[in-house]
Amino acid sequence: MSADTKFHVHHDSPEKIGRRERLGVRLLIVADGAFVFGMIFSYFYLRNLNVNNGWIPEGGHTFSASSGWVVVIPFIFAALMHRLAVRSGASFKNLSLLTLIVLVVGIVLQWKQISTMPFQVEGEEGMVFGYEGSYSSSWVLIAGANMFHYIITIFLALGLFIRARRAEVDPVLEKWRMATATSWFTWVAISGIACAITTSFI
Amino acid sequence: MTTLDQHASVRPIPNPAKSLITKLNMGTGIIVGVIFAAATYFGLKDEDMLSMQQNSKVLLATMFMWSIGFMVGIGAFIGPVRWLIGKDLTDEEQLYLAGDGQGIKRYFKYCTDHKVVGIQYLVGVMTLLGVGGTMAMMIRTNLIQPGSQFVNPAVYNSLVGLHGITMIIAMIIVATGPFGNYIMPIMIGAADMAFPRLNALSWWVLFTAIPVLCSAWFLGGIPTGWTAYAPLSVQAGPGMNAFIATIIIFAVSTAVAGANITATVVAMRAKGMKWNRVPIFVIGATISVALAIPAFPTFMLSMIMTGLDRSFATTFFDANLGGSGWLYAHLFWIMGHPEVYVILIPGVAVLMEIAPVFVRKPLFSYNAAIAGFAGIAGLSILVWAHHMYISGWMPMLNGPFMVTTEMISVPTGLIFLVILGTLWRGRPWMKLPMLGVYAFLWNMLIGGITGLYLSDVPADNYLHGSMYVTAHFHYTLMGAALTGALAGLAYWFPKMTGRMLNERAGYISFWLTQIGFQILFLGMFIAGAEGQPRRVADYSVNFATSDLISTIGAYTIGLGMIILLWAVIHSWRHGKIAPMNPWGAKTLEWTVPYPVPLVNFDTPPVVTSDPYGYGKASN
Repeated sequence: MSADTKFHVHHDSPEKIGRRERLGVRLLIVADGAFVFGMIFSYFYLRNLNVNNGWIPEGGHTFSASSGWVVVIPFIFAALMHRLAVRSGASFKNLSLLTLIVLVVGIVLQWKQISTMPFQVEGEEGMVFGYEGSYSSSWVLIAGANMFHYIITIFLALGLFIRARRAEVDPVLEKWRMATATSWFTWVAISGIACAITTSFI
Repeated sequence: MTTLDQHASVRPIPNPAKSLITKLNMGTGIIVGVIFAAATYFGLKDEDMLSMQQNSKVLLATMFMWSIGFMVGIGAFIGPVRWLIGKDLTDEEQLYLAGDGQGIKRYFKYCTDHKVVGIQYLVGVMTLLGVGGTMAMMIRTNLIQPGSQFVNPAVYNSLVGLHGITMIIAMIIVATGPFGNYIMPIMIGAADMAFPRLNALSWWVLFTAIPVLCSAWFLGGIPTGWTAYAPLSVQAGPGMNAFIATIIIFAVSTAVAGANITATVVAMRAKGMKWNRVPIFVIGATISVALAIPAFPTFMLSMIMTGLDRSFATTFFDANLGGSGWLYAHLFWIMGHPEVYVILIPGVAVLMEIAPVFVRKPLFSYNAAIAGFAGIAGLSILVWAHHMYISGWMPMLNGPFMVTTEMISVPTGLIFLVILGTLWRGRPWMKLPMLGVYAFLWNMLIGGITGLYLSDVPADNYLHGSMYVTAHFHYTLMGAALTGALAGLAYWFPKMTGRMLNERAGYISFWLTQIGFQILFLGMFIAGAEGQPRRVADYSVNFATSDLISTIGAYTIGLGMIILLWAVIHSWRHGKIAPMNPWGAKTLEWTVPYPVPLVNFDTPPVVTSDPYGYGKASN
């Protein structure tokens, strides 16, 4: 292979950096997507096998189909609001604050759902022995994954809001970062919807 | 420190005033990691520690907090936190993080220079191979004669499991770690990786997994083998928590490294480097890590489920309460079989890079090589259930999975033809790296053909769980992939260290390793075919001769590897200074001097031809 020896001043353009960052984030989304797909696969696999009628054992509790959707709605709103914020330009700061608030509401809802799950089997003095069956186990896992998504997304939303408030950040580079963040906001909304559809099948 | 490193270290060190990053290193990482771990352990520990559930909860939390604490202590989160508060790292801080002018100290810091990360991976891989190899010697010593009792059966079980997982981790990173980080960005004419901080993150996260894995020894070991099948893994002792935490941490490292390498190759190639001008090693490494990106999260998921079953008494794998061991097997093997090719492809790609250089001919049918890699990667996600033929899961699907598995021999055959075609009527320059190409052809031929029998349902019913399987996968993973990686070490050693690898010691090591390898594993095929089970500490007297021969073969490999280790260390310190391009190769990494400049190229290269222009192509 031959290399041209002419001198080139090499500065990566914001577009190039943006393309790179977007690709990196999308590849990480592929990894996360495989994880979410694995959870959904596990849910339906265990549901259809229903080994020893243990999917929902006799007397076991269930969530209503809407429970899965309640914690996903903030993700959907946040994704839409972030897109709006990226397009609006001038009112980005206010919209990103709203995005952040919606996500905080979402994580509170998710936390409340996890901490008040009716699936735990308790013994004397309220000691927890375990979970009722594979339905409840799958719910715990999916709720945990949603929680993880909330934590990462709130970190992003908080960062975008703080950076939008600060005047000294590079506006051109920021624009690409917003676009990159859009991929993640969209993904967590899609992932949340997929999980909510899954848990609608009791 | 070598004279060459001293030369590098006399450069002025950037000194970003009052920046925390100048004060952090591996030592602070260990201190903060230990503090986090201790605080978690003693904070959560209570009188209920005797219950397995509470014990697992506390141990898993402690291990994860060690990892997080270490990353805090070494400064991994400074970049993200500074981004969060809108105060990005300054240019001087970035330069400091890149280790500019810091000499040997940068190897112990959160250094973002891809060359430093490459060396860190190389040392890490050698350490893991050394530890895993020592365990292999102990396993073979126990099997030297029936009833030898060198170790007790429980320790033997742990040895088998820990040897397996240590070697699997080492083999996954053996080529893409050192060469994918050090060499690959230079090969494509890039100034650095796409995400330098993530690059450092991938290494140091992996580093934190090593003590966690080692802790399994002190927690009673792992009795499950590296496959950690549930529900056995759910019921196993506290050492299993170390296995679970290791895999979860490793999966994070792999996802980050995979995204980074793929983004670098896709988005940062030099001007003029079209896809048909990309060196074949880069293609192989990229396909391998791209395959790992979706594969490893399912392994991580299976480990999270196992951890939840152990710590919170969920019931994913408890058949009494709706769980299923088959679920674990699916999740594990959906990752487990692609993982074989994640290991194999980069090793083979290294050999494809080497062959044209040493026969001075273009790579035979570059497109066929890519088709072979892509075919293997594509089919590898459709074959997982061949590991479950005798599990009783869906016997009606055994036939289709047999077909998809056997189909993999077609793209593998293409790979063979590409290498054979490259060698055909060439005049090989028989230097040390080139020997690996011939060793690969022999070993992979045996590994591939014996694999066909295992893909066949009736034959697998008999051979499953026998030493035959052990011999087969060692022929593919060690005989082919590790051979490729070691050839890569000999080939790129001059670029990575500035010195030539001691050739005489290299030859002795090569022959001892390859001869020992044949002695060890050819005999194992016969013992396995005659019914000797794998993972069992003792065996019938019928297999005594075969196992004695295998153990002699193992010691021969061990000797060969010790000589190689000596050669690497000695050559690194005292070896002959290497010229810039000792092999006369045409890829870009050989156009830069040693020490390689921080941004690799003073002037960004413009590529004007393909990488194998050694004359007229024979095809």
